Amino acid sequence: MKRRTALELLAGGAAAVALHPLLRAAGSQPDDFFIFIHAAGGWDVTLWSDPRTERKGIIEPATTASIDVAGLRHWKTTGDSFEPLVVKSLVLGPAIGDLLDLADRLTVINGIAMNTVSHADGTAYSCTGRHRTGGTLPESSIDVLIANERGVAQMMPDVSIRFPSAFIGTRLDRRAVPLRIADVGALTNSFERSTDYLYDADRTEITALLSDEATTLAKTSTHPATYEQVASQQQSLGLLLKGDFTRTFQRKQLEQAYPQFNYKGRFYGGQAVVAGFAIEAIKRNLVRCVSFSLGQLDTHTANYRLHAHTLQELFDLVAGIVKLLDVTPHPTSPTTKLSERTHILVVSEFCRTPQINLNGGRDHYPNNSALVISPRFRAGRSFGKTDPDQLLALDFGKFTDGTRPIAPPDLLATFLGAFAIDPRRYMRDGEVVKALLA
Amino acid sequence: MRRALALLLVAACGRPDVIEPSRAVPFGDYTEIALDATPKGHRRMVPPEAYLRAYLTWFGGLSPGDVFYKARGRNLFDQWASYLVALGLPDYAVDAPRATQSNTVMLAAMGRLGEALCVRSAEHDLDARTAPDKRVVFAFEPVANPSRDDFADRFDILHRTFLSYPARLAPTDRTDRFYALYRSVAARHQAGLLSADKAAWVAVCTALVQHPETGLY
Repeated sequence: MKRRTALELLAGGAAAVALHPLLRAAGSQPDDFFIFIHAAGGWDVTLWSDPRTERKGIIEPATTASIDVAGLRHWKTTGDSFEPLVVKSLVLGPAIGDLLDLADRLTVINGIAMNTVSHADGTAYSCTGRHRTGGTLPESSIDVLIANERGVAQMMPDVSIRFPSAFIGTRLDRRAVPLRIADVGALTNSFERSTDYLYDADRTEITALLSDEATTLAKTSTHPATYEQVASQQQSLGLLLKGDFTRTFQRKQLEQAYPQFNYKGRFYGGQAVVAGFAIEAIKRNLVRCVSFSLGQLDTHTANYRLHAHTLQELFDLVAGIVKLLDVTPHPTSPTTKLSERTHILVVSEFCRTPQINLNGGRDHYPNNSALVISPRFRAGRSFGKTDPDQLLALDFGKFTDGTRPIAPPDLLATFLGAFAIDPRRYMRDGEVVKALLA
Repeated sequence: MRRALALLLVAACGRPDVIEPSRAVPFGDYTEIALDATPKGHRRMVPPEAYLRAYLTWFGGLSPGDVFYKARGRNLFDQWASYLVALGLPDYAVDAPRATQSNTVMLAAMGRLGEALCVRSAEHDLDARTAPDKRVVFAFEPVANPSRDDFADRFDILHRTFLSYPARLAPTDRTDRFYALYRSVAARHQAGLLSADKAAWVAVCTALVQHPETGLY
């Protein structure tokens, strides 16, 4: 056998192993899955991750006069404010919702220095680790990086439902381009087809033909990667156009399959179906990352009275996801619980001012917290601190550029580092903070 | 002396009486470059509006509103607003920016639109009552169960419409591949809303409208 032929066969075999999830799982650890959540609008960290109950400096804690407490399950009035919830070394606020049951699995990072109070910039900084340069994003977002590293062989590497995903530059595999949609319905609408004219078998043949055409054209193209991308997309399309996919992911089907989520919730009822989508898509091994955004946290005025309720509903949703992952087997390793291999990161663009403004709301403030639920992180405790009088980030520890607070690029670099991905391949800034890792 | 100098200056700057024509010199040899492979900047996706405009033009100069009315019914297509982000367009209602790269959802959404328009065109153009000059996409005389040559002539018309050049110049055995698609789809559609031949032409049209060259030329 010629050397070239042997190499091609070896490469083909390696590619087959790399591409087939079952083969890959058989030879190594089960695959990981990722859920990225953007709590859009800027959250009040004093109500959940960094509770403040005393008037100190410029800090005005939440009181029964400033927020509606009816329906807040963990609110207990003490003095002027509320009684913090202490679970071992973790201290939480009353908006934590059902995540309180999972406190020993939470990794809370407080005192994240944002250096911005702009929604667009804070969102970019939290999700990419870089501030915006003018109107553009200089680096790809964390979901795209993970999809690039771990997801290109998946049918849908990164489904991004209103998440601020960014695919930047030419160095990433184009299969990691996020599938951006406005809601789950748009996804099923796109894949749905009338059954009155063409049949599934016809469409399978069409997509196979087009995939072949793209592969053939790639061989003579100056830019074969473009045709190769189309070929892989047509292959995926052929599988997704079969009726089962659209039926399973229809809103009603998901709501029936996952009654645990609150589809009538005041704030996220209409969007809660994304949680069911995430579970189902992971369970079927169709995705690597599901990223979504839930808003309504930008409360500058009297709408702040409901901020804690919004947070409670958000965290109830996250807790619902984790509890379902606990009882769902991994798609390629039935003895493994999905929660053992699924990693959740919840971020927001910044927090809200420690003082309440004249309209009864809180404005933007350049401090932040983040939440990680992952077996790769040290859980049941919080990291990082804020100033007792100012609620501004305090130094976290020593970094290569000196002592300073932790910042979003550090958190994102640590998230990549948790999966043995060298962040320097993708990120200009940020250091892996080993203290956060299990 | 001064006068002599002034005279000399006027004479030097003055217009010559005759301009000598250039001598005819043959052009030098040139090298023929088969393919221009010079870098042209980063590859980027054609704006989705360009794709949509192409779709609307191919199927008879439709407006987006025409598409909605033409393609509705029997779950062929629904409202544009359901697809803005999926098609790669910005959707300010959900603060979603314009897509810069294609993806499978975009292909699927474009594919759904393409299939809907192909179905409606086949219903119109391949109807025996439609006058030949009123046929928009399938601008040929249909024949039942066409031979390979019959198919090739008609396929070429579609190929020129969607891919802008004759099918015989395609870099693959494209006509044979599409003829195979035609025959197997026709075999599956012996009964239904569309006749076997109409369904097969819809499949060919749907494939051409989503062809990689259609999207990337």
